[in-house]
Amino acid sequence: MSDWGIFAAMLRRDLRIELRTREALLAMGFYALLVMVIFSFAFSADAALTARAGGGLLWVAFLFAALVALDRAFLRETAEGALVGLQTSPAPRAALLAGKFASSFVLILGLEAILLPLFAVLFNAPAHADWGGIALTTVLGTWALAANGTYFSAMSVHVRQRGLLLPLLLLPVSIPAILAMVQATQIYLGGEGVANYWLQLLAGYDVIFTALGLMLAEMALEVE
Amino acid sequence: MSTPIPARTAWIPLAGAGTLALLLVALWWALIGAPTEATMGTVQRIFYYHAPAALAAWVAFGLNAIASMAYLAKRSMRADALAVAGAEVGLAFLTINLITGPIWARPVWGVWWVWDPRLTLTLAMWVMYGSYLILRQLTPEGGLQPRLAAALAIFFAADIPIDYMAIRWWRGQHPSPVLFGGADSGLAPRMLVAFLLSMAAFLALMGFLVWLRYRQELTRGAITRLKQQRALAEV
Repeated sequence: MSDWGIFAAMLRRDLRIELRTREALLAMGFYALLVMVIFSFAFSADAALTARAGGGLLWVAFLFAALVALDRAFLRETAEGALVGLQTSPAPRAALLAGKFASSFVLILGLEAILLPLFAVLFNAPAHADWGGIALTTVLGTWALAANGTYFSAMSVHVRQRGLLLPLLLLPVSIPAILAMVQATQIYLGGEGVANYWLQLLAGYDVIFTALGLMLAEMALEVE
Repeated sequence: MSTPIPARTAWIPLAGAGTLALLLVALWWALIGAPTEATMGTVQRIFYYHAPAALAAWVAFGLNAIASMAYLAKRSMRADALAVAGAEVGLAFLTINLITGPIWARPVWGVWWVWDPRLTLTLAMWVMYGSYLILRQLTPEGGLQPRLAAALAIFFAADIPIDYMAIRWWRGQHPSPVLFGGADSGLAPRMLVAFLLSMAAFLALMGFLVWLRYRQELTRGAITRLKQQRALAEV
């Protein structure tokens, strides 16, 4: 099988499991919704708050949802020795990791597509907000989280405190990406024109860390 | 694979004594030798510890990055030991930098903390290497641990420049570099002596601590292997 075939097989398999069980989508969707509802109480959300800090509120909710999804990404593989099967297969590690990344990316993005309108309603997003820009930021930002998150999820699968370790690894490395996605979203929410340089930073971050993850894929999936 | 226990050497007490002497000389210059700064007053003297601690931390993290790449290339336990030593000692110096900063900022800026690029980046780095050490603590010792740690260290090395750019676009307030910073910068000659001595003393202390920690890590690894061998032999 070609590398692309392996990549596509991984992606198809993960999405099929998800469509049949819907466990990650339901759990993480409900979790993110809860976070948004709690935020709206905790910060007494109104239009003024959204105009000032909406980008941050939105992305913290997305971040929580992504962490749940990414934590599950490799947990599923521990069932019935699937992981050992992957690790001992002759498939290139980069293709396996890329397939895993793609399925997480699609999953999180699908969830965000549902959450974004909910956010707009719950937080009274300004009418002049640029939703095209926000959608673009969401795609680039989710790519960043999913790329590094998949890598660290693979890395932490053997670790005792796996659920704790993933955010500890993912969040520090994601600081520039989080800064960029929050700032860009904030600019688009206020309809203050284009957030070009934040999007460029995000795109650059995506390219660099996707490449790094693929180059070091061997390390993340190595047999102990 | 098996790295021997580092031999006992007389260089340790010698280097330790030299570092201590340098630190004492630098301390005298920082507290007494250098003149009191005109507008900021005595509190400015903390600068002789604040900036050198940051420099020492950066060099130690640099050692961590280089050692991590060397580990990936050669899978040598020596490189891994150097990586741990660099991260731990670097984090200690960065902590000194982060504690002395607010002590100076409160009287001079009027606030303990601002989200200025350099402060934010320093805090981000502190968080990063903290998580690196937690990763090492949570992973079982042996094959997997150095590999995961090295991969994470390389992610950090790629992340720091991007972090710096992102944060610079975000905010700005830290005083510009005092040396080589343009026409307005520069130090009184006696201040410069104190500053350079402190830099040298902190770098020496960092190097000394990294060396000790490196030796200790090699010894620890060797002892663990001996124990494993004995446990196997008893079976």
